[in-house]
Amino acid sequence: MIIIEYLLMFFLILTAFMAVFFTEELISIIFLSILSMVLTALYLINQAPDVALAEVVIGTGLNTAIFMSAISQVREGEDCHCKEDD
Amino acid sequence: MRKFIVMFLLVFLGIFLYFNLSYLPAEKMISNNVSQHYINSGVKETGSFNLVTAILFDYRAFDSLGESTIIFAAVSGIVLILSRKTLPVSSHGLTFIVKRTLGLLTPFIFLFSIYLMTHGHLSPGGGFQGGVILATISIIFCIVYGSEFDQKKFSPQTKTKLETGGALLFILMGILGVIFENGFLDNLNLFNGEPGSLISAGNIPVINLGIGLKVGAGLAIIFYSMIQKTFGEETDH
Amino acid sequence: MIYNIVFVILFILGLYTVLVKKSMIKMVIGLNIMESAIFFWVISLSNTGNLIPILQTYMEEKAVNDPVPQALILTGIVIGASTTAFLLTLIIELKKLGGSINLDHIKGLSE
Repeated sequence: MIIIEYLLMFFLILTAFMAVFFTEELISIIFLSILSMVLTALYLINQAPDVALAEVVIGTGLNTAIFMSAISQVREGEDCHCKEDD
Repeated sequence: MRKFIVMFLLVFLGIFLYFNLSYLPAEKMISNNVSQHYINSGVKETGSFNLVTAILFDYRAFDSLGESTIIFAAVSGIVLILSRKTLPVSSHGLTFIVKRTLGLLTPFIFLFSIYLMTHGHLSPGGGFQGGVILATISIIFCIVYGSEFDQKKFSPQTKTKLETGGALLFILMGILGVIFENGFLDNLNLFNGEPGSLISAGNIPVINLGIGLKVGAGLAIIFYSMIQKTFGEETDH
Repeated sequence: MIYNIVFVILFILGLYTVLVKKSMIKMVIGLNIMESAIFFWVISLSNTGNLIPILQTYMEEKAVNDPVPQALILTGIVIGASTTAFLLTLIIELKKLGGSINLDHIKGLSE
């Protein structure tokens, strides 16, 4: 159990570093979603199930959806001819 | 050049912060009186097995009212800024397989959220978690079926009525506490059953329902306002 | 002790992103990383090695974890999501009025 916890904390630091390192914004948002999932597992190992439920619903579901809908409106450059996008 | 100065200063700040954190006492926070009182007499006074829900909705219910106010302020600010001069995007949704699969899955997601909201005092869950899952259903409708479908099923007027209904239910329980008991948001002894069964724990289930409706409708309004795009360039000076 | 090291590293990473990066969406991501670091550290303080704070029948032993920090962090998570949504709305509106989300190329700010 201790080894899993140390491995997950190493993943936490690695994912946060990757989110900062890239310049394109879409990749950073995906790494933020992965950071939220690793954080949920760490909350469960530290015996806090209510907080883990809240983090997995809000961090992985709602935060990522709001980021994606915001970045689809501020992206500059090419205009897409696709009809289905939100 | 500026990056390296900032990096050096931040490393210095990090070392300073780490040395100051080691001055905290070695034993954890449980040996003070407040947590011991909540653990020892939480079930007798409130009737709920879940101690976190008992703290959030009975002992410190006023802080949950403050959090509802923050969500309300954020929703009002977002709706005011993204004004209605834009035309709604009517996307055609995704392919047929995704529509059919999610059409079968959505009632179970709804059932799960109602389960989390009503069993808040017996198992991990509560009003906040169930409410956000309700907002996820509205997001699924927007993405998979197109925003016209979502506007027909839950129009913005319905979502506004749900949100204000949830907030007024919360405040109604508080005012009833003033009339019948001693203070604002006191326990009304409404559902007095055996602790451990579904119908128990005073007015915690009612407050859970109110908070769940408010949070869910508020976050659904936020997502619906943020996906409207402008057709053509109409910039207002 | 290892929780202190992880908290300091994550916090400094987030602070570096807010101070140095030029794109405004990167600053919001850095703010989220700082909030996640603080929540993780406070939950690690409430873990004293006992069971989860949900009693099952009337236990006489009553050796459970501390429930007070978990209630505070639950409120904090929801507030963080609301603040992020509001900040992104302001960024969308600034893109319409200023022309770019890069801090160096916004038109209309005085030199």
